[in-house]
Amino acid sequence: MLSKIIGSGLTRRTFLKSTAATALSAGLPGAALAAGETIKIGFLAPLTGPVAAWGKPGLDGCQIWAERVNAAGGIKLESGSHMVEFIGYDNEYDPAKARTGATKLIREDGVSFIMMLGGDTWPGVQPVADKTGMLFSTLLPSDLSPDTTTLIAPAEVHPIYNVTGVEWLAENKPELKTAVMCAQDDALGLPSVATYLAAFEAAGITMNEEPLLFDPATTDFAPVVTRLLSSSPDIVCLDTCYSDYVHPICEQLFQQGYEGQIISCTADFYDQIIAKTSKEFMEGFVFQFPDFDDPALNSDQINFEDPNGFFAEYNKRHPGEWGAVSWEYASIMDLWKAAAEKAGSADPEAVIAAMKEGGTGEHAFGDARWWGTELFGIDNALVGDWPVVVIENGKATIKGFKNIPDWYDKHGDLLVKHMKAYDQMWDQRG
Amino acid sequence: MLKYLIWPLLAVGLVLLPHGLSFSQQEILVFLTINVLLVSTYRLLTLTGEWSLGHVVIMGVGAYASALYTKEFGVWVPVSMLLGGVTAALLAVLLSFPLFRMKGFYFLIGSFAAGEIIRLLWKRFRDPFGGPKGIKGIDPMPDFSIGIYDFDFFEPVSYYYFAGVVVVVCLWILWRIEKSPVGLTFHAVHWQDKLAEASGVNLRAYRTLAFAIASGFAGVGGALMAHYVGTINPNSFDVEVMVFVLTWAIVGGTGTFYGPILGCVALTVLNEIVLRELGFEQMRPLIYGAILILSILFMPKGLESVVQRLIQPRDKKSDADREALS
Repeated sequence: MLSKIIGSGLTRRTFLKSTAATALSAGLPGAALAAGETIKIGFLAPLTGPVAAWGKPGLDGCQIWAERVNAAGGIKLESGSHMVEFIGYDNEYDPAKARTGATKLIREDGVSFIMMLGGDTWPGVQPVADKTGMLFSTLLPSDLSPDTTTLIAPAEVHPIYNVTGVEWLAENKPELKTAVMCAQDDALGLPSVATYLAAFEAAGITMNEEPLLFDPATTDFAPVVTRLLSSSPDIVCLDTCYSDYVHPICEQLFQQGYEGQIISCTADFYDQIIAKTSKEFMEGFVFQFPDFDDPALNSDQINFEDPNGFFAEYNKRHPGEWGAVSWEYASIMDLWKAAAEKAGSADPEAVIAAMKEGGTGEHAFGDARWWGTELFGIDNALVGDWPVVVIENGKATIKGFKNIPDWYDKHGDLLVKHMKAYDQMWDQRG
Repeated sequence: MLKYLIWPLLAVGLVLLPHGLSFSQQEILVFLTINVLLVSTYRLLTLTGEWSLGHVVIMGVGAYASALYTKEFGVWVPVSMLLGGVTAALLAVLLSFPLFRMKGFYFLIGSFAAGEIIRLLWKRFRDPFGGPKGIKGIDPMPDFSIGIYDFDFFEPVSYYYFAGVVVVVCLWILWRIEKSPVGLTFHAVHWQDKLAEASGVNLRAYRTLAFAIASGFAGVGGALMAHYVGTINPNSFDVEVMVFVLTWAIVGGTGTFYGPILGCVALTVLNEIVLRELGFEQMRPLIYGAILILSILFMPKGLESVVQRLIQPRDKKSDADREALS
């Protein structure tokens, strides 16, 4: 009977078996790799459109990572050494297209692991992840919940690491006492607003007024900046604005004569901001994403291999395109590779078990621990040190590393309070 | 003879179609089926001469309404889909009061503004709309069996059959409406509005009727999408998606019932399958735009004009044969 063939009550196992039966068995999650077979990794992120800046540079970084790993003999599993290949799918930051992409990568391309930007696209993919048991990663831990057992956030604990910038600011510029903040009113902006509010409160910095939330479709930032500056703040916080907002906001701040402190989660393509404003204006700008040619990344605590060489190669191939995510997906791959080699297998279940063994992992910026139950309902976020970056003489410079769990141990209640106020706790989301 | 065979052949073709496709193409087929309904409803609205920029938002109203009926009130999914369509139609009636005080370009801008207001409301009111992140964990269509076939709605083939039946029924109703006296009046409202008014036709009432019908069926399309993807957010129904609908309608042509459907199918296959398969993943917007410009330059009457050219010679030949026989 057709109904028998199609199968009722699809489970993860029957799904995988039935998929295998359709002559697409190569590289399926759970299926053992043949000796010498290439390991395929899915890259499911926006490669075009307004959010592409947080997708495409990551894929470019991964290509460099793959070439380095392949040149060094590939990934060594029980079945032998395997070359690695990335297969990209442009989800255009659309949940429906992300679902299609996940289906393609798993059922047709036979990938062993899928990296995503996450955010709006994760809910579209979650049913596919639930059915297949495929291991996914996200850059946005706000996607995590107790249901997302095969989703990990091993690169960045956005937006929690933003507390480190504020903490550094309070320690090094104690004269700054008041702040204002603006953010786009969306899934990236709101949890970040809650985090900055907690960080400012913990640092004893007063908010002059409520955070100014603007519509993501905003293109004219003059009124936004005028309102921000109306209370003469010591600090202007740009939250986790997309680079399409950070650039015009900085331009407006410059044009409206602001000379105070600016803090932001990102400053992608900051050289372009400097070109539009001035080196003096951008001096002291605090953010969270370093250039990987920074000497501070050569210290022993750093687990990302040859960051300076990676940065040089990236800039050679993609001049002027280095951004916050250029290294992040590659760093996730470092973690995945180590776990797969430890497990001796690319099977998602085996890899995640090896990855989380002992409750710790090797994050790009140092050893870290799997964490998150209070905020995300599950310990699937890898948290440790995070750098504080300051623009000095036109160049991003790491000023130090701060420990996120240490901050949380002292001020976690503040973070939970503000997250709850913005409906950003895992049990408040959707 | 062929005239009588074409529909059964088409039906068989549509039933067999997903089995000749890859898994991801089956997924695309589901969304294509829903988009066919969307663009067809848009054409019904354009029959009265008004082009809206808020149609995708109205589709979203159906999606949000259906999702909320199931999540908040536990309404059975198929019923909530219908209610989603009804909600979209009722909202369209409400919107028609301010919007149909305008015509032409002003209506276009007014519909855009109305759509943006609705989207802002979704973003602003986290309860119940979920704010910018929208609603997730939307109940899927419940699985069922009809003996020879078990419908598992996680699988795109099952959902394609379900959505296909819904869309075919909706298209048939839209077709019947267009061919009815009401549909002819829609045409009259567009092309001969003064004459129609002089004949006692209430122009505003007919415009409102077209708007409500189109919105209702678009709402059903939105509900179909919401219960398949399992999540919706305000960005799923933004003006960028609306531009795609306009493009499908313009490239396909709006002179015939099948024109916008042709545009939707051709451009979706091109954008989602051909260009991706050819390895132009990141260049798709560029190539898509170029093809759009070229098609407008060299096929100003849309793809439907190509079909008409293919059909016409045969019709003329048939006429000639008939004349010869007589």
